[in-house]
This record gives sequence, structure tokens and C-alpha cells, in this order.
Amino acid sequence: MSSKRHSILPAVSAGPKPPVQFSSSITIADSALLTGTNLITISSESVIHPRAKLDSLAGRITIGRRCVVHERTMLGVLGTSGKVTEQAVTLGDYVTVEVAASIEAGNTIIGEGSTVGVGSKIGAGAVIGKHCTLTPHTEIPAGEIIPDFTVIYSNGMKRIDKRGVADLKNKGQARQIDVLKRMIPSTPAKFT
Amino acid sequence: MAPLNPYTYIQCPCSDSASLGRPSDATSPTSADGDDEDNTFDPRAPRANFSLYPLEYLLYCEDCHQIRCPRCITEEIATYFCPSCLFEVPSSNLKSEGNRCTRSCFQCPICIGPLSVTSIETPPSDPTLLAPDHAATPHSTYSLICSYCNWSSTEIGIQFDKPNSIHAQLAKIRNGGASRLTAKERKERRKELSHRGGEAAVVAASEASGGQDMDLETQFANLKLFYNSQLADPNAEDNGLSSLGDLGFSSPSSLSRIMNLYTGGKLHDPRAKSKLGAMREAITAGEGLLEPNLDESSLISQLHQSDFLDTASSTQICSQPPNLGELHLHGAARFNSSLRPVPYLLRTKRSKRCPVCRHIISKPEAKVQTTRFRIRLVAGSYIPSISIRRLNLPGPNGPAAPAILGDLLEPLKPVHFLLTFKNPIFESLKVTLGAPAKTPGRFPSKVTVLCPQFDIDANTDVWDEALKDNDRESSNRSRRRAGTESQFQVEVGKIWERGRNWVSIVVEVVPASLKLEAGQDVLKEDEDVLEIPMFVRIEWEAENGGEDAASGPGRDKEQKEKRELAYWCVLGLGRIRQG
Repeated sequence: MSSKRHSILPAVSAGPKPPVQFSSSITIADSALLTGTNLITISSESVIHPRAKLDSLAGRITIGRRCVVHERTMLGVLGTSGKVTEQAVTLGDYVTVEVAASIEAGNTIIGEGSTVGVGSKIGAGAVIGKHCTLTPHTEIPAGEIIPDFTVIYSNGMKRIDKRGVADLKNKGQARQIDVLKRMIPSTPAKFT
Repeated sequence: MAPLNPYTYIQCPCSDSASLGRPSDATSPTSADGDDEDNTFDPRAPRANFSLYPLEYLLYCEDCHQIRCPRCITEEIATYFCPSCLFEVPSSNLKSEGNRCTRSCFQCPICIGPLSVTSIETPPSDPTLLAPDHAATPHSTYSLICSYCNWSSTEIGIQFDKPNSIHAQLAKIRNGGASRLTAKERKERRKELSHRGGEAAVVAASEASGGQDMDLETQFANLKLFYNSQLADPNAEDNGLSSLGDLGFSSPSSLSRIMNLYTGGKLHDPRAKSKLGAMREAITAGEGLLEPNLDESSLISQLHQSDFLDTASSTQICSQPPNLGELHLHGAARFNSSLRPVPYLLRTKRSKRCPVCRHIISKPEAKVQTTRFRIRLVAGSYIPSISIRRLNLPGPNGPAAPAILGDLLEPLKPVHFLLTFKNPIFESLKVTLGAPAKTPGRFPSKVTVLCPQFDIDANTDVWDEALKDNDRESSNRSRRRAGTESQFQVEVGKIWERGRNWVSIVVEVVPASLKLEAGQDVLKEDEDVLEIPMFVRIEWEAENGGEDAASGPGRDKEQKEKRELAYWCVLGLGRIRQG
């Protein structure tokens, strides 16, 4: 634990230390919170920002390649349903989970290249397709299946993204990760 | 029930106060009052809603010394500007180019977010071939992309060559990428043709092109040209019924002929055409005839196949500007996939004038980026503001319970409210209040203003007060001591507390019981809100204006003029508990 707290937010209680399987090229901040009893896997070149919370109490957490998980996110939250499954949360490659988003546990799958917007809440068991865009503060009910290339905007309105910029977005994400690698000091050893 | 925060609304004198005094229903007891000299203002009258404003909405005319409200004020437009690029549009451009931005500012037709011009990178043609050293594409295309809902103009098939002046480029492209001629280009073509081949060539060309693309603009232009030609010369060879003697009244030649009949004689112009012509309607597409295509089966089958959410909503259709590139009426967008980007509507900066004396009351700066005002005479700097809070006095059984804002009022139990009047001007004010003993309406509550007349000190500087504080400290202490003694006693005729530029007084209210008798209607919306109409009269001494500066001797240096202002206001105190 760090010596002196500077934050005015209440202190987060630390839970059990989970077993982890990190790739060698990931960037994980020192103040990221990994708790739980199941395995947490983070694949190559992904970035975990400070104060991201990964909770594997309700199942495993698997994060794909070149993902970015921002601050104050909560992956693996036990929602009202409280489902405990083998795989709690799966993030595909190139997924971005923005600040303060929360993804509930229970076989929740986020497809490749999707962006979960700021403050979004994804219910347990939801399946988000590939290259989807969830605009800020969207709420996905539990069990919902979102097809590929969907944009969810406004109050749950949906439309199909036809820009065809999936490859460009992936390239942009790779460049962003290069920059983040230099900005966030990585301490994977703390969690292993 | 929604909790009610106390509010103060002021009535502007522009409304007809005589009609507001009469209550709407006959069962209310105030109807028995008859017509007082000043009819009690009834805040429940249907018209009262439109004349009541919070203090922040009201302006003040210094010449008339009267309150002005948004309803009675005269507005003049100072500048037009686009809210997106903040570009000032001269008013002369408005007539020619319309009231929308003609640069590159567009709204997404789906989600009304701002559209940004982005270049579309063309993917490399074949990754196996060697790319040249300078791999930059010389010809990049641009499109409009919404950053919120990810809509792109490529969805309707529109791409641009240049990143600026999108409005002009958009006028030349139809949905799907096909180009169209704008009005200017059409005129130029017509001129060229008339130079080369004469009138007949122009007619032939318009006939030929009429069949292909008869969009809204072309049809209008053709029709206008045709009607103009008809008005000028209705006796063209291809007239039908002219021999039957149909009178065409609007044709100038026929008008002159009729006038000549009356004036008669030598004035008749021998050169005037004796044969009367009749106007006819357009026959061909070149003259502007649009044959209606009433077969909408393809549209209907498309509607069958598509989702309800794929169709454009009424707001989306209404916000689309008229599409000059499509057919009139038949070409209106029905589906989300045919909505075009919407140019931003221009906004205005307005200056406000008093309707009576034409004095400028509010004038913003002409520069669009600054939000300041050159002149701003708001009522808040001339009339005292009233703030209300509940006063909990300890009853005979112990200390007072803390007041919760928005708490419901108990019927038939007396409550006390503290009204604080704050004086904004630099002179001391004398305030006289008048409130009817019973509030108007079906359920009258009893109202007593404990101190209806008091003075408020001038709004002097804080520094002046601090300097005088040393002198007044002893007197203040004695005053406060007296205040603490009477803190728990509400006395009639005495104010509650006084400060530098404010005074607070107590109002005692006994809310009415909302019990409905047999035969009475159900409680209407907001009928349980306790509202007190109050007549406020303020008197102050103001320095006379510079007009009399050069008057004769025997005058004081500063001529003080007594001024007074009176208005009705409504204090909303809270909701009464039902049942």
C-alpha cells in the first residue's frame, strides 16, 4: 500500500490477491487494483491505467491484445444478478474501456475493436459485437446481444456504423499505446 | 407532490391589470369584494400566468422609471452570426443566401451533433506492389463525419474535393454522388445558348433537359420563366382559346385595352394589339410542368421491408432544408438513409428598446465573441429583491424544530415566513406593502404582514460601512441585544432584522384547509400552492437629471426628486398538505 493517501475519495479496500498471467509487453500502473480469486489474463501490449479495478471474484477476466482500460473502470462487478461463472469478463483485441465504465461479471463479452464510452454500464452476460461504439453513459441491460458495428447513442438508440474505419482505428490505438507506454510507469511484478 | 421552493414573481405593468383583478370562478369569496379601487391581483387568473416574471427576467427603463418585461419590450436585431463558426453574417447576405450558414458548418441529420470535415484515406490499391517513395495521395477526398453517432456523408454517397466551402459543394451534389446544376450555372448556360443559337435554342435545350432531371430548383426556374413570358406576351402563336375572347385580366396588354375602352377616342393607341390573348398553363416539362407520379408502390415495398426506426422522424424531416436537387414533394426524404446534412441556422444578437420612450434598455456588443453588454438596465439593479424563507419560532412547548425547505404546510396552523428585501440602489428606500387579508382562490388562506411599512438603507460600499462600523458598533450591539430579546417574539409593526442594505420582516400565514365539500370540483393542478399577491410601493429620492442644470438661481445644488414605483408581485410560499 502507498504510504500517504492524497485522494479525497474513500479508500478502496484491498481483497485477495488473484493469480495473474501477464504478457511481457503489457503496461500496468502501480495503483491498478486487481482483486479476486480467479485468473486474470492480460495479453500483449495492453495498458491498464491507474486505479482501474479488475475483480475476478465472480470468474476469470481475460483482456485481449492492445486493449486500453482507463481509470476508475470496474471490470467484473458483481451486479444485482450476482452471476458466478467460469469466465466473468472477456475483452477482445483493441478494445477501449473509457473512464468510469463498469462491466458486470457473468460471461460478458466485448468484441474486438469496440469502444465502451465514459461512464457506461454493461450488464451481466451482455455480448457486444466487434467494432461497436457505445457513447458515454449508455446502459446495456443484462443479457443483451449487440450486433457488430453498432453505434449506441442518445437514450439507447442504435444505428450501424458504416464508416469502414476499423483498420484505421486499430492503427490509431496502436499509436496511442506507444505513447501510453512511455507515460505510465509499469509495475507488473507487483501483481504476480 | 413535488416540493415547492419559495419564489417571487413580479407583474409587469404592461398587462391590463383591470382584467386580472377579477377572479375566474364565482365561488371564490373575493368576488364579493366587488371592484375596489385597486383590484386585488389574482395570481390564479388564467391571464396572470403570462404577466408574472421572476426578477431576473425583468428590465427597467430609466426614462420612464418603469419595469419592462420580455413581452412588452421591442427587439431589434444587432448582428446575425453562425453559432458554430461564430462568423458574423451581414444582413444583406440574409436575403440572398438565406438564414443558414453558407460556410462549412453542418449538423448531423441523425443526432444533431456538429459534423467535422475529415479526409478519407484511400486504402493502398495493392499491397503487393511497391509504393512510390512519396506515398501521399495527391487527390484526397473529404467527407462530413459526426463524432457522436459516427454518421458519415459517405452513407448518402457524398464526398468532397476540398475541405472548405462545403455548402457550395453540397449544392452541386445529389444523394448518391450525381452532380446537378445550380441556378447560376443554369443561367450561364442559357446565356451561352442564347448568344449562339437565339431564343429557339434556349427553348429546345430546356425542353430536352426538362425530361431528365426536373429538380425543385429547375422546375421553379422554368415555371417562373414561362409565367413571365405569358404575362408579357400572351398572344404567342400557340395560344388555344384566345379566339373565343377570354379575358386575361392580369396581362398588361389586356388591361391597357380595357382602360382604353373607357377613356376611349383619340387616346387609343393604333399600334396596340387588338386581339386579346389568354394566359395558359405550362404544357411541357421545359415550361415547368411536373407530371405527378402517383405510383408509389416501390416506396411502399421499401417501407414494408425496412424497420420503423429506419424511417426519418418528423423532427428530422422538418429540420431538413428544402432539397433543391430532388423532385418537389416526391423527393422528400422518408428514410434515415436519405437525410442530408443540415446547415446551421443563424442566430441573432438583439438590442432591446422601451416601447414607450424608445430608450435603449439592453445593447450587446457587436462583436460576436464577446458576451458583454454595452448597456444593460436590468430590474435587479433598481427594485428590491425579495427572498423568502420559513421561520420556525419555538412554540410554547420547547425550542423550534429546524425548517426543511419545501416542507408541506399544515392546514389551519399558523406559519411564519421571513421576507428579506435587499436594496440595490444607492439611495435609501421606503417600502410600503399591501396584501389582501385572504388570498384569492377557492381556498383562501389568511395572511398578515406584520410590518407593512419600513425603510431600507442605501446600498453603500462595504468599505464605507466598515469605516462607519467603529462609530456604530456600540449602537449595533445595543440594537442586536434588543434583537435577541425579541428574537423569539414576533411583534406587529416591527421589523425582524436589519443589515447594511437589507431588511427582513415576518409574514404570518394560516393556510386554508383543502377539504372539498360535496358538489365541488376536484382540486386543480397547483391549487394547493399557497400564493400571496402583494402590492409593493417603493419611494426614494433620486438626483435630478442634467436637464435642469442650467436653471435659474435660487435652486439647491442637488435637487432631490421624490420618485415612487409600485407593482404587484406574487410570493409563492409552499404547498399545503392535502387531506
